[in-house]
Amino acid sequence: MTANILDGIVLGLQFGLLAAGLTLVYGLGGVLNLAYGQMAVVSAMVVLFSMDADVPALPAIGLGVLAGGLSGLILDLTVLRPVYRLWGEARVLLSLLLTLGVAFVVDGFLNWQYPQAGLTLRIGGGPVEILGVPMRAGSLVASAVTLLAMAALLVFFRATTLGRAVRSVIEDQEGARLVGIDPHRMLRLILILSGVLAALVAVTRSMVAPVTVTAGFGLTVNALIVTVVGGLGSVPGALLAGILLGIINTIAASYIGTFLSLIILLTAAALTILIRPSGLLGVSE
Amino acid sequence: MTERFSEGTGTSVIGGAERRTSRSLASLFLPIAGIGAVLALVPLWLGDSRVLMGVAVLGLAYACYTIGFNLIFGSTGQLFLCVGALAGIGGYGSAILAETVGLPIPMAVLLATLAAGLIGGLLSWIAVRRSLGVIFTGVVTLIFALAFENLLLGLTDLTGGDGGFLIGAGSESFLRRQIPPYYLMLTLALGFLVIHGLLRRSHIGWAFRALRDDELAAELAGVDVARYRVYAAVVGSAMLGMAGGLYALTEGRISPTTFGFAQVDVVVLVMLAFGGIGTLFGPILGAVAFTVIDELLIDLGQLRVLVYGALILMLFLWIPRGVIPTIAGLIRRRGPSG
Repeated sequence: MTANILDGIVLGLQFGLLAAGLTLVYGLGGVLNLAYGQMAVVSAMVVLFSMDADVPALPAIGLGVLAGGLSGLILDLTVLRPVYRLWGEARVLLSLLLTLGVAFVVDGFLNWQYPQAGLTLRIGGGPVEILGVPMRAGSLVASAVTLLAMAALLVFFRATTLGRAVRSVIEDQEGARLVGIDPHRMLRLILILSGVLAALVAVTRSMVAPVTVTAGFGLTVNALIVTVVGGLGSVPGALLAGILLGIINTIAASYIGTFLSLIILLTAAALTILIRPSGLLGVSE
Repeated sequence: MTERFSEGTGTSVIGGAERRTSRSLASLFLPIAGIGAVLALVPLWLGDSRVLMGVAVLGLAYACYTIGFNLIFGSTGQLFLCVGALAGIGGYGSAILAETVGLPIPMAVLLATLAAGLIGGLLSWIAVRRSLGVIFTGVVTLIFALAFENLLLGLTDLTGGDGGFLIGAGSESFLRRQIPPYYLMLTLALGFLVIHGLLRRSHIGWAFRALRDDELAAELAGVDVARYRVYAAVVGSAMLGMAGGLYALTEGRISPTTFGFAQVDVVVLVMLAFGGIGTLFGPILGAVAFTVIDELLIDLGQLRVLVYGALILMLFLWIPRGVIPTIAGLIRRRGPSG
């Protein structure tokens, strides 16, 4: 039981971090980025190719994170430009369709060029006992990195001026503009940040299981579900929902069996949305 | 949250074309008859090739799906991301009822259609009841679609799991010959167009437009927004179920990928957006165009996905409203009658 909960927490932490990037971009700019999973895959591929070119692991990971941030910046500067001219549901819809196009282009290119590629980072050392349960070293390093990233994210939003500026835009765009915050610059910053988060998830995920070229779509769907369950625009909500769904998923998988466990996970997500449409920690309108 | 989204809608992705509806029925039936006449000629040209006729039948099945999805999403703004799942309820339902239970084929299709309509209506009723917005409706229906896909994979005794199963029922009938399935699906698509066209002209169509353009104003003017949304979802989902059922029976085998999210929902969304969301004829134009493009690109393999992505990007960067509203706009601007 304890082992399952710990496994679930590791998975959930990654779900949560992944969802945080998606939820920020949506909450801040009304942009739904369906190419989000592909940003993670691109970062993973950059790490993979750098390591193939004999770059040591840490600098390679650095390059991957850089690639993630860069992909966010590129989205902001290119395909999202027409999206910024729209408002409301039209804006969400156009952003969704355009980023779906980007996702296809990236998926198509990677599957065409590198159909077999997948990133696996091996962390040395034997299993470590936690609460009397042996855990793989890879899982532990992955959770540690994820937890650090989460803590950094929460500190950024609570304690720094820039983080507060971003939150003020999420709460009230007009008000933020009146006190001299440029919503567009904040959105660009957050798109870059979401790319960095996607890259971190790709790297930590690859310590537990391989991240393949076809993983993009599945990552996006997971992030989307966790985002909605946690409440759109709420970072703590995304983290909480990620951990909860991760635990539900792992426990259901070990006690009930695979295909029903996914259905239980999905039902739990659907019920949360129906009972609390604003999400676990979302702001009711 | 809602406040900053209300700064005017700009050029909406959901097209506002075909607003002016003329009252004469001829203006509805003539274009549909024209489309039917042109598409009826296709077997004269491709009839010799079993493969190409199969592609054409699949294209028409997608046209049917897109018309059903258009009724739900284009007309009443409910983003149903379970098009494949609803078609799959029709497909698996018809196949299992005809094959395992042994019902006559028309009965099996009818029951499966009914089931799809009811489930679609239920999803819509839940969404309306909880007043979920576009994205939330999208995610809830997406979750439903993923759960359905997993059920198909898991209930191997009933569905054959990953590999699906062969449908023996109807294998001796016209459903498995080379040409008749094409005319069956064409009739279905034209029938769906007529139903959607008639709905648009009735008071229900006015309600659809009113609630799509401004939901609050429609509600204040006495339109029962909730009721019309559920109606549209029931009719549209029944269309999806019937098309899925008949396609499965003409194909003779089904598997989860026949109705998968990536294979159906994504494609249908692109077809509809290409033709023009909320227009009457957009779905059929989009389905025909994408079936042809897909066949032309068949040799590209994985590169095809990339080309699709590039096409989607170009499409929405240049003509975000879709082809039919854009052309209609050009004609209206140039035409002397205005």
